[in-house]
Amino acid sequence: MARRLLPHLLLWLAIGLCFLPLLYQLGLSLVPPERLFASPWPFSLPITLENYRVVLEKLPLARYAFNSLVFALGSTLGQLVLGLLAAYAFAFRRFALAELLFALFVASMLVPFVVTYLPSYLLLARLELLNTHLGLILPMLTAGYATFLLRQRFLSFPKEILEAALVDGASTLQILWRVLVPANQATLVALSITLFIGAWNQFVWPMLVASRPEMYVLTVAVQRFAGGEGANAWGPLMAASVLATLPALLLFLAFRKRILETLLEGGVRL
Amino acid sequence: MQRVEAYPHRAKAPPRVAWEPYLLLAPGLLFLLVFVYWPLVYNLWLSLFEWNLVSPQARFVGLGNYQALLQDPLLGQLLRQSLLYLALAALGNFLLPLALALLTLQVGGRWAELYQSLLFTPTVVAVSIAALVWLYLYLPAAGPLAKAFAALGLPAPGFLADPQLALYAVSLVANWKFLGFHYLIALAGLKALPKEVLEAARVDGAVGWAFLSRVLLPLLAPTLVFLFLSALASALDYAFVPVDVMTQGGPFGQSSNLMYAVYQEAFRYFRAGMAAALAVLLTLGMAALIVGQLRLLERRGVYG
Repeated sequence: MARRLLPHLLLWLAIGLCFLPLLYQLGLSLVPPERLFASPWPFSLPITLENYRVVLEKLPLARYAFNSLVFALGSTLGQLVLGLLAAYAFAFRRFALAELLFALFVASMLVPFVVTYLPSYLLLARLELLNTHLGLILPMLTAGYATFLLRQRFLSFPKEILEAALVDGASTLQILWRVLVPANQATLVALSITLFIGAWNQFVWPMLVASRPEMYVLTVAVQRFAGGEGANAWGPLMAASVLATLPALLLFLAFRKRILETLLEGGVRL
Repeated sequence: MQRVEAYPHRAKAPPRVAWEPYLLLAPGLLFLLVFVYWPLVYNLWLSLFEWNLVSPQARFVGLGNYQALLQDPLLGQLLRQSLLYLALAALGNFLLPLALALLTLQVGGRWAELYQSLLFTPTVVAVSIAALVWLYLYLPAAGPLAKAFAALGLPAPGFLADPQLALYAVSLVANWKFLGFHYLIALAGLKALPKEVLEAARVDGAVGWAFLSRVLLPLLAPTLVFLFLSALASALDYAFVPVDVMTQGGPFGQSSNLMYAVYQEAFRYFRAGMAAALAVLLTLGMAALIVGQLRLLERRGVYG
């Protein structure tokens, strides 16, 4: 019996430790300012929504959320479209240089962002795209991961159905849109949410490119608040951070089954 | 039915345009070339100049930046600290996730699904925001960790302010934040193993050392190599944001690493040439690591 329970206990211990910082994040956002350091525990009574009121009053969070949304949606949709087109070519067509080109797509995932920041920044500055939504989005449209994942899925799609559609006279775009997209809906949903959360949480690139206050995304705004007015105001700061996290968290919780399944199936293929 | 008869005398598809695949790839490829591969080349060019990002003129210095870098004892320090980050990632992003994944396999069923969801949840928080929360946890004297030390009657360490500890404190945040992701990747690798083996492992409780060392580990070897190297490959990247938010590499540069140094050279000190030279060295190092990884996997016959 003890043997049976041991894995459960250890896993719960790990989960507890993993969640502790998140509990502090939430707890601090609910603490009345004068009781900030009164208790070492994540939660203590009484709780208040005062911090949220302060932060909503002081920060134009709607504006920042809008910037985050445009940035994340644009990055997600762009990567999806580019990934779908490329994955179709790699999965269903034979052509010269296919292997080399596919290697370029896959290898792009391994290049760390930090070595491309400076050249990308200089390029966008020259194009006068700093502090624009387009400038934020464009460098995110490297669809290596989307292409890799979708190609994997397309390869296991029954060939006969494609042949039938071709015989029907369907064009490539029609096949993609009417056959492959509906058939791979689950994967596409999981991929979209993953890409969206990834972009929503981006910090360094938006900090560099969108440095004008009205162009801040939420992550940058929270950081600026932490470095300025919110420096020692842990309550309002954590309230802002909870609000910035909430959309990503809710999306994950709503689609967690699909996301985890897709990651578990397509994560590593050995 | 009707539509199939549109091509009554052949069951084959109409001929396809030969250049179509290139057309389909063109947009995706364009972005990769402009924002991934061109920067790698441009770094090479940029690294031959001394330039402050704003002046209209850059001064050509040849290999001067590389020379200065290789003579600077700072590079050695950065290298040492980067290796320390990698070693810590081997613990937090490889061994620990692997252990948790093995435990999850023994549980099975609904509980396993619940544990997967829960362990993955913290990865949904932006790392820049998570770093702020940890800044609070690490607060000297007033923070929860300091209070926990005090409650145990121990002197509270300075965490981020202590040159000896800052790197560990920052690394813990990176490892914590990405634990759930590596756990899931480990689980995916384990699930790709033959079902019977896992079943046996579950029934056995996999506590028997003999079973672990003679059956499970040899079967796992390729997966383990892959997990280990992917944890290493991303370690410096993962530490980047916590370093920036929590310490900016300090105190005395003790929590910095190669990736963060590239960023600082470019956007704090405005030394574009130096940043590019460091980026080139970093790219070469990463490439060596990745090629080595592929070689290792090939030799083990994983792709065979």
